This record gives sequence, C-alpha cells and structure tokens, in this order.
Amino acid sequence: MNAPNDWRARAANQTRLAYGQALLELGARESRTVVVSADTQDLLGIRPYIERYRHRFVEMGIAEQNAIGAASGLATTGLRPYVCAYAPFITARSMEQVRNDVAYANQRVVIGAAASGISLGVAGGTHHALEDLALMRSLPNMTVIVPADAEEAYAATLATLDIDGPVYMRLGGRVEEPPLNSEPFRLGRAAQLRAGNDLTVIACGALVEMSVRASDELRKDGIHVRVLNMHTIKPLDRDTILAAAAETRGIVTAEEHHLTGGLGGAVAELLAVEHPTRMRMIGMPDEFAVVGPTTKIRAKYGMSAEAIANACRSLLNHG
Amino acid sequence: MTESRGALIKRLEGQARQIRRNVWRALRAGGSGHAGGSCSAADILAALYFHRMRVRPKEPEWPDRDRFVLSKGHANAALGAVLAQAGFIDDSVLDRFYGYESPFGMHPDIKVAGVEMCTGALGHGLAIAMGMALGARMQAQDFHTFVMIGDGELHEGSNWEAALAASHYKLANLTAIIDYNKIAQSGPISELIEVGPLADKWRAFGWEVREIDGHDMVQVADALGALPFNNARPSALIAHTIKGKGVSFAENTYVWHSNNVTDEIYAKALAELGEP
Repeated sequence: MNAPNDWRARAANQTRLAYGQALLELGARESRTVVVSADTQDLLGIRPYIERYRHRFVEMGIAEQNAIGAASGLATTGLRPYVCAYAPFITARSMEQVRNDVAYANQRVVIGAAASGISLGVAGGTHHALEDLALMRSLPNMTVIVPADAEEAYAATLATLDIDGPVYMRLGGRVEEPPLNSEPFRLGRAAQLRAGNDLTVIACGALVEMSVRASDELRKDGIHVRVLNMHTIKPLDRDTILAAAAETRGIVTAEEHHLTGGLGGAVAELLAVEHPTRMRMIGMPDEFAVVGPTTKIRAKYGMSAEAIANACRSLLNHG
Repeated sequence: MTESRGALIKRLEGQARQIRRNVWRALRAGGSGHAGGSCSAADILAALYFHRMRVRPKEPEWPDRDRFVLSKGHANAALGAVLAQAGFIDDSVLDRFYGYESPFGMHPDIKVAGVEMCTGALGHGLAIAMGMALGARMQAQDFHTFVMIGDGELHEGSNWEAALAASHYKLANLTAIIDYNKIAQSGPISELIEVGPLADKWRAFGWEVREIDGHDMVQVADALGALPFNNARPSALIAHTIKGKGVSFAENTYVWHSNNVTDEIYAKALAELGEP
C-alpha cells in the first residue's frame, strides 16, 4: 500500500517523518502500539499520531535513559513501544538501558533514531551520530535497520510488526524522489538497485543514492557496478554479500558512519572469514567531524558519489 | 478462617527469618555474594510476597499479578529465597547459586519464573517499573507495581528522571521502596555522596512519602497495607534498615556488602538466625 502524502511534501530529512507517519498506520493496525517520545514530537512528525491515539502516547521529556527503561517496562505488559528520539542520545547516552533493559531482556521495543549520521551537520560534533551502528549491532537480539529513503523508512517501520525482539531504526536518509527501490522492502534481504559484475557497492542509508550515482557514472566508462542497498545491517544478508564477492572483482562499502564498526565492518567481518575479498570502505575516518552543512561535511570526508566512484576505480586498477 | 493481626505479624517475621537463612544458604552455595543488602531487604520482601502482593506462584505470567522489580539487583539471593519460599521456583535452586549456565547468578534474570526484569546495573528499576505502571493504566489493568531501590543506587541520576515522570503521570499504582541501610560497597553513603534528606527529596519530586523502620514487621505490614498513600501520586516508602540485619558480624559493615561465605561463616550465621 502507498504511504500517505503529507510527509513527502516536507523539506528535509524525510525518513524521520516517514517513521512518524508509519506509526499512525501502526496505531490503526495494532492496538498495542504505544509511542514514547523524548521531546521529539515534531522531529519525528508524530503529532497526527498523538491527536488520534493520545491514550497510547507518553512524553518522557529530555530523558533518554528513562524513555528506554519505560519502553522496556511497557513492553513487559504486552504493549508494543515505539521510541522517538535523537540518534546520538538514544544510543550513546542510554546505551546501558538499551543493552540491559531492551536487548538483554529481549523486549519488543523499536527505537526510532532521528538525526543520525551528520544529518545535523551544523549542530556540531556533539550532535553527530557516527558510532550508533557500531553500538547497536554489537548487541545480541537487536535488529538494525537503516532506511535509504522515506518510502523505505515507512515500509521498514511497518515491517517491525513481525519482529519478535528489539529494533534499532536509523533515520536520516535521502530527501529527493523518486524512491530508490523498485522492489518491496524485505527485512534482512538487500535490494539490488543496479546490476553489474565488475564490482559491487554495498551501501546503506544516505549513501545508497550516491552509490547509484557512482554506478551510473562508471557505466559511462564501461564499468558495470552492482549496487546493493543493505538496509538491514543486522541480521546481515550473508547470501547476497557472498554471491557478490564470488561474482564480482571487489567490494566497496559506503555509509555515513565511522569506518569502525558499521556496515563496512560488518561486511568485512563476514568476508574475512567466509570469502576474503578486495575491499574499499567509504565512511567517516577516525575523527570527529567539523561543523557545517551536511553535504559539505560528506564531501570533506569522502562520503560522496565521486569518492565512491574513485574507490571503485582504485579497486579495479590496483586490486 | 481469617488470620489475626498478631498471627499475621508472627508469620511474616518467621518468613523473613527464613529468607535470611536462605540468603546465607544460597551464598554459601555460590561461595560469596551480597549478604548485607539481601538481609536488609528481607522483612519487606516477606511482607510483599506473603501479605501484600497479588501473585500466583504457579502461574508466574498471570497478567493481573502485581509486579515487583528488584532494582538493587545485587540482593538477588533474597529475591531467590522469597521466590522459592512462595513456590515460584524449586527450593533446591538455593543450593545451586552461581552454577554453570544457571539462571541464578549474582543478579536477577527474567529467565527465572517470577523475576520481572534483569537488574543489578543500578538505576534502571524505577524507569522500568514506571513503564509497567503506565502500561497497566493504558490497558485498564489494576495491578500495582513495586520497585525496591537501594539508597546508594540513588546516586544514579536515571532514578530522578523516572521520579519526575512517575509524578508527572500521577502514577498512584506505583510504589518505590527505598531500602535505606545507609552503607554502600565502599563505606557509609554519607561519606561517599550523601543522599539525604530522602523524604524531602521524594516529596519535592511530587511523591507521597512515608518513613518506617524496615525491620519492624508491624510498621512494614501497615505501610504496605496503606498503599497507595495518595490516590493522585506515586508512593515512596523509605524503610530505615540495617545492612546485614540478623547476623551480628555482618550488621552495619560495608565489608558485608559482598563477601566470601564459607561453610564456617554459614554455620555461624545460621546459629544466630535461629529457626524460622
């Protein structure tokens, strides 16, 4: 089914609004849905949900540890909590609550984390979330999803209905239309956006679109790059990655996250053991990012279509 | 036949003594553990499980049961003891504490029937219990949620986030019991970071507060029977207790926050505790 349109018209960072809009749909589909906000009612666009389902909404204020603990307690009573929060704070600040109260206790809590990566570029380093995937994917029981655009965020949020355990949903992706994926969202199964047998680019979130652009650019030079949208970081789609490693000459990963512990790390961990493969990794180097517009920060640290294309050329030319 | 008040108090006192005996038994099986904070909590746990709380030990997931979260999870030996005495779990587990692959480690785990949440990392229980109380209200369930918090645990700021929210949402179906034994792992709490005046703090956060002697079973039973203290506020019960209560060498000393428990120490403790 198609998502409602109002969030499509909004200007910025639509995945977070798509999450909020999907909660409205979830409220109708699942009477146990309850939304927990950490002073993020507009950030995730949940005011329509609140108007309709006020009796299944709780505002916890600027208190992320408490929001996660409360969500865990709510889940024990049979409710299905959806947390709305800022990515840097709901992961790092309340990491122990996420680990113990949600992941270790294996509670059905979905964490919607807006403002991930450097989507709040001008807010400065304290507000960049560049280690959240490393933190969340290190937790047993946790499902980790990184939607690449608003359509995918909407579909992925609805798909959490079928997940019997905790979920981290990293929000902060692409703005422009049309949707990147032509296939329906399938949890744990990467979407192939471009075919090709020379190389493979595996990307997530905001860098999926840039990977497509890089692939299209390289095609002009006769280089055929397969592009995989790895929207589910955990559980990782091992089969699709191993097939890419076997069928193409190398793998480039691309993500708006530190090179330590994110998608690239997950792919490298798999391949190092199962199918050692030449790789290049695109992402944030081991430093805190400067202040600035998101697009400029991305370009500075090599998180761009151009950098992805260059990594592909380097891999082909130098192995 | 209705139990007389005198008989009730006498029964609960005996059950609390049995909790203490079983605490030392479990810690002997484990070889070490948190005797001090387990024994300070024993009287309150007895009154909760054998008098105040609505539970079905043979149906631990019964949706209408009252909830108890042991936020000061290091008192797990006392929780294990009361769950065994109430019939949630087999009594023999008290002889297998810390066993390999056992769900009975130093801290509570929801794998154990009757344990509502994995705790022991301090400062988590109140937020979780507050979520349970909210969940009850949202689903029009009338169960009550209790959470036992250590006084040293109140150093953790997360408690005060949850205290704010519980007050804001007027959760009269939530009770925080502070096991105020005044000693933490490294020494007296007043010498680490003072937490008092506790009653004033909880009142300032919008809670209805009562203070009792947490080892006087009449006061404990009366206070728990009077809940909620206010129909528009969460309740805070500050129970003044003695760390290591019941065994002279363990009382009021931080050494017994956690310590080794040999067969010899176990025998000395049991000799002091007497029969249930």
